[in-house]
Amino acid sequence: MILTKNISSLARSVGILLLATLVSACASDLQTKVSGHLNGLSKHQTVAILPVEASDAGQKEMAKMFRQGLYANLKQSKFNLLEKYIVDGLLKQNHLNNPASYLNINPMQFGEILGADAIVFSRINKVERSYFIVHSSIELSVSVQMVDTRTGEILWRAEQTEHDFSGIGKIPTGITTALLAPIQFVTNKFNLSKMTSKMVDKLTALIKKPENAVKETQFKETVIAKNATTELKKIEELQQLKAEWNQALSLGDEMEVLTYQETQSETLAQENISFTSTEIIQNEVPAVVRKAKTVEAEMAQLPATAKRKKIVTPAPMNTYKTTLAIPTHKDSQLSHEKSKPAKSTNKSSTLYTVQVGAYKTKAYAQSLLKKLVGKGYNAFVIHNKIYKVQVDKFKNKQDALELAKHIQKKEKLKNFVTRTG
Amino acid sequence: MGQQIVSQSRIFSLMKLSLILLSFIFVGCGTVDLEIRHNNTNISMQPRSVAILPFTLEEPVHEDVSPHDLFRSCFYNYFSFLGYVDLPLETINEKLSQAGLTDNKKILELSPERLREILEVDAVIRGRVLSASNFTGGIHAETSIKAKIDMLDLRTGEVLWETEHKESTYSGILSPTIVEIIQDQMENVKVHQAYYKTAEIFMISMMKEIPDPADNWTEEIRLPKIISIETNLKPSLKLKPNDRIYINLKGDPGLTGYFGIGSWKSDIPLKEIVPGLYTGSYTIKSSDDVSSSLIVGTLKDKNGLTGKKFYKDGMVQFDASSTN
Repeated sequence: MILTKNISSLARSVGILLLATLVSACASDLQTKVSGHLNGLSKHQTVAILPVEASDAGQKEMAKMFRQGLYANLKQSKFNLLEKYIVDGLLKQNHLNNPASYLNINPMQFGEILGADAIVFSRINKVERSYFIVHSSIELSVSVQMVDTRTGEILWRAEQTEHDFSGIGKIPTGITTALLAPIQFVTNKFNLSKMTSKMVDKLTALIKKPENAVKETQFKETVIAKNATTELKKIEELQQLKAEWNQALSLGDEMEVLTYQETQSETLAQENISFTSTEIIQNEVPAVVRKAKTVEAEMAQLPATAKRKKIVTPAPMNTYKTTLAIPTHKDSQLSHEKSKPAKSTNKSSTLYTVQVGAYKTKAYAQSLLKKLVGKGYNAFVIHNKIYKVQVDKFKNKQDALELAKHIQKKEKLKNFVTRTG
Repeated sequence: MGQQIVSQSRIFSLMKLSLILLSFIFVGCGTVDLEIRHNNTNISMQPRSVAILPFTLEEPVHEDVSPHDLFRSCFYNYFSFLGYVDLPLETINEKLSQAGLTDNKKILELSPERLREILEVDAVIRGRVLSASNFTGGIHAETSIKAKIDMLDLRTGEVLWETEHKESTYSGILSPTIVEIIQDQMENVKVHQAYYKTAEIFMISMMKEIPDPADNWTEEIRLPKIISIETNLKPSLKLKPNDRIYINLKGDPGLTGYFGIGSWKSDIPLKEIVPGLYTGSYTIKSSDDVSSSLIVGTLKDKNGLTGKKFYKDGMVQFDASSTN
């Protein structure tokens, strides 16, 4: 009777122990979150899986298996996967050979290099194998992040740790196995490969079917990757500065319009054409533009394609070249008295000039003057309440009109002919 | 003396058991013996595009699964890791179906010329699943796939490599621990997953042996080039309904062009008005709502490769007061 009781109690204990061991046998910790925008990816969008970051040789082996697993698991997902050899080839062409540096590069840059809409960064955090006579274990840990290159948004982020062991805890089938199984478990590469495969399977379950994401596995709000935030801020700052600059220019234009209206009878019929904002930036003088330039310089330059578009300046005029000399006055000598136009020989008679700009701010006038002089025009600035930029002086009004037409055609610069002293 | 004989026989039986056990432990981690029949040293002669033909099943299985289809799908997923341009399985099936070919065994018998004509690829992968089994009973659980796979160069008619391998996942009385036996039993009951897992192990081993030409193409890879992208967007400009964004994109001629507004709107078509110059526009609707998005221009070539360029001189920002 007592024996039966003892046997049943022992059997119960063994059962509980077995159940507990089964539950804890292969521990897995997966924290994964996706963005609602992940559902927006379709076969029209391309995703590139970048090489996996790993610190030592042991991790590198797993990194390769892990990336292979990612490709195999995501190959038939909702989006188009950029083939591995294309990703690696393009990264090599752009000298991006160190996966450890990828998280410091703006996702937009990867977007242009790889032609991808999203990229997957991943890192092996831990590959740990331990052995102690009748017990051995393997622990793997990885981090993954998918970022939309078009917005910098994190579409998927996951941290996963997988742990498995062999030993007494798993109730060996015999004494020999109790000793051999832990050795086999920790030394056989196949176990690492099997664990990695299992790990990737669990890890990618949500990304393969993002529509299955529950509230707990969704980001509450849009999360922008750190490397993208910096870049987007700089772009926004630059645009703000450009907007301020354009505003400042429009003030100058208002002044010009006033002058234009005052001298309506002497003007040419003009189309409403002015410098483009890009051209204006080229002639920076004011502090606001200098600041804009600094911001542009700070921005990471994209290889091969990122250089700012060089503005093509028109070829120097030939028609007026013989009559135009570089003005004798310098920018610092800007004043009505010091201006010495080339043809101002007859003080008593009426002379005609082409006015191309009028500004309240001296610096803006200087900027335009510099540009015109650089192109070979006999330009000068006169100050009469406002700073007027004028080109050449003619006895004959028709000659002035010819030059006005030419400036408008070649330089796309609004102008009119006016009398000058 | 008698005791010594008994203890010696015990030692021998223990050693025998250990050997048997070890042999079982290492089942499943055997390497795939892949025979390279023809090694192309000439890069230009290496196949670039590959189609994985439908696999055949020599012996039917009892379960309601198609191990050969699962194996083909698994092969495709892993094979894409290598440096070949692999035709999607759906495309292959569609092309074969259009050619009136639905019998997998007959497809394998087609001449290289005919296959090339139908699929327009350099090489094909042929797979024959010779046997497949899944058994769970008592304390024994086993899933195995035995297959013969080769790569046939359709340009020359030569078999480039081939392999015949059996991959098994086994669990039984000789498994080292009781917990593993129970776990394996539970997993093996899910037939579909069990076949796929076995196929995966087969593939992981096989992938190490298949020649990978990826390094040969590194210098040749070239995405469509975009020289510049221009828009009428101005810094800090708030867009209102009916405002129109115009895009001009300069790049390689003869490609498909489109643009997107961040991830909010994509694939808006661009029209090539003169070779290499693509234009398009988008009119803001009252229901549109997006803040600070960059315009991204895209050119796509016939191989599906895309070149992208961002317009960074202006962002698309809607005037919240004028949109719903």
